[in-house]
Amino acid sequence: MIAAALLAALLTGGPAVDDATLLPADGAVAGLARDGAAEVFRGAELYGHIDGGAELYLEVGFERVTVQRYRRGEDELTAELYRMSDPTAAHAIYLGRCGDETPDARLAERHTAGRHQLLLVKGGVFLAVNNDTGRAKGAPLLVEVARAVAARLPDEAAPAPGAALPAGWLPGSLRVVRGPVGLGAIVTLGDGDVLRLGGTVTAAAAAYDDARLGRHTLLVADYPDAAAARAALAHVAARFDAALTLVRHDEAVLVYRDWAGRFGDLAVADRRLTLRANLARDPGMPATPPLEAQP
Amino acid sequence: MRQTYSPIDADPNLSRREFVAAACAVTASGVVLGVPALADTPKATEVETNLADYLKVPRGAHALPGPFPGRVVQVSNQRAVVDDRVDAKVVGEMFERGVRTLTGTDMRASFRMLFTTDDVVGLKVNPVGAPLISTKPEVVDAVVRWLVDNRLPKGNIVIWDRFEGMLKDAGFTPQRFPGVRIEALQTMDEEGTSWRTADGRHVSEGNFDPAWTYVARGVVGKGVRGYKDDEYYLNQHVFAGEVSYFGKLVTQGLTKIVNLAAYKNTGNGISMATKNLGYAAICNTGRLHQPLFFRVCTEVLAAPPVRDKLVLNVTDALNAQYDGGPDKDAKFVWPHRTLYFATDPFALDMVCHTQLVAKRKAMGIQVNEAPRFTDYLRQAESLGLGVADPAKITLMTVRA
Repeated sequence: MIAAALLAALLTGGPAVDDATLLPADGAVAGLARDGAAEVFRGAELYGHIDGGAELYLEVGFERVTVQRYRRGEDELTAELYRMSDPTAAHAIYLGRCGDETPDARLAERHTAGRHQLLLVKGGVFLAVNNDTGRAKGAPLLVEVARAVAARLPDEAAPAPGAALPAGWLPGSLRVVRGPVGLGAIVTLGDGDVLRLGGTVTAAAAAYDDARLGRHTLLVADYPDAAAARAALAHVAARFDAALTLVRHDEAVLVYRDWAGRFGDLAVADRRLTLRANLARDPGMPATPPLEAQP
Repeated sequence: MRQTYSPIDADPNLSRREFVAAACAVTASGVVLGVPALADTPKATEVETNLADYLKVPRGAHALPGPFPGRVVQVSNQRAVVDDRVDAKVVGEMFERGVRTLTGTDMRASFRMLFTTDDVVGLKVNPVGAPLISTKPEVVDAVVRWLVDNRLPKGNIVIWDRFEGMLKDAGFTPQRFPGVRIEALQTMDEEGTSWRTADGRHVSEGNFDPAWTYVARGVVGKGVRGYKDDEYYLNQHVFAGEVSYFGKLVTQGLTKIVNLAAYKNTGNGISMATKNLGYAAICNTGRLHQPLFFRVCTEVLAAPPVRDKLVLNVTDALNAQYDGGPDKDAKFVWPHRTLYFATDPFALDMVCHTQLVAKRKAMGIQVNEAPRFTDYLRQAESLGLGVADPAKITLMTVRA
């Protein structure tokens, strides 16, 4: 057992943290009692915890989730501590779930709090605390649990997943994409991992309103090198979705028209691939933000 | 369609700790547990299934799309949910309005149109995302009352889903529904600690029918590199391989099905009427999501045990969720205060899909409207199971 733990620690690049110890102990917060032992779901075991939707967590980088139920009188809470592979992966999940953030002044970390659920991200941890009964009196408990967990997590600089995108994206539209599940939420270019993100190349995407091109989506992916970026574009062309029409294509640019008559384009410059989707008109020459573009 | 059982081949003596160690060993060999296999997967249309076998079976008297192909009824009432509380009386009234509008007759005649008093009626609820976005017990109350009022024995009503624990969490307990049977296809042992019996077989093996299968050739895993036949995954699979077995409850226990779905998205698609049954009537579904996903929602419903028994669909949109589904995400839940009714689940899903896309856009969600997210509904129409063409669908709205 010790050998297995040591091996696990080595493979995950650090000491094996028992995430259950990060969650409030019995009676430690607002009189909440633990209801049973914590459950831990590692890797593909996530399918045993999330009935639909686990794919996205696995795609962006998931290690384990520790689930602990609590009770206090009529109130029932569940805390889910997701240990993601890195802070960007944790933000990828948070950004997809937070909607319009409604923070609580008692929490300093990035979060959104409501009557039914509190979501928080800090470092490589994504935390969800659920008010299982929906009782209004249970809502303050969500904040207390989140505060207790956040206090035990180490401080580290938050990632800037939108750094590669130009400023001006529509609020709430920023997403992190590392594979076909995330990409499919935005656009369909073909089957499988058509952009060859492979779970390791990180793309950022967001929606923009533009007077000429209308409301559209911009995605920027930085590959390890220029050859990988070009290969990704070639792969899109090879796996091109049957519902799209190719308008023009060379080794650096691909322009298409979709089933609704809207346009999209992909362009490669150096190791960066830029995708624009849902364009109101043929964009002409694609605009590729420079690598150092910052909001 | 009879297949030989192929139980998952795992060492029954493998402990949880040993499994972790084994998984680590796999990781050490260069495969990362938990990272999805991102190699190009086959197109959904390229996977061979046994759909053709289903189509050879003559249709029953109640076969889909039922007596009202393409007809969908939408009943809304602002008093149905107030301050997060469901008003059972209002929901009961909405249910009656919905059924009567759908059938064009009274509740008794509607019952006779769809059931007999000898039927064993399964109420397929969706407990995922309780208490926010699951099927509301108050909707089930209305159905049970209707059936019992028309002299169907209470013991002939079965509230069911795949998973026992989820039913309990969503309020479907013997205490809440006395006299009504509550059954899950997949359960753990009595202690609630293991999916296996002492001799290493899955606790729920006997709940599945070897005579009725959904086969997807070559689809044997769930697309995760490093996947082993681990204990937790058993809650989805029960058996390994390219075969999903139908639950005996569906094939042998029930004579009619009422489908009580929740109203929510799953990515750019919806997880409503057809998914509520498509992914619940069979086991081994985890493997199907990535390569086939929505196609399962049509093809499993084309199987005679479902096709010939599913007589009514009610989609519970008292609360609805426009993003973050299929699990609950409170940020995207709103009180829609609506129930939808149809005998044709495909027309119902097309209406709900269209409305949900409009809602998602209105709320600023980036929506991918690729046709692939509704192709399964058009496939159903081509098979004569329902209507998907919006021009052929009649939506009847009732506002109370």
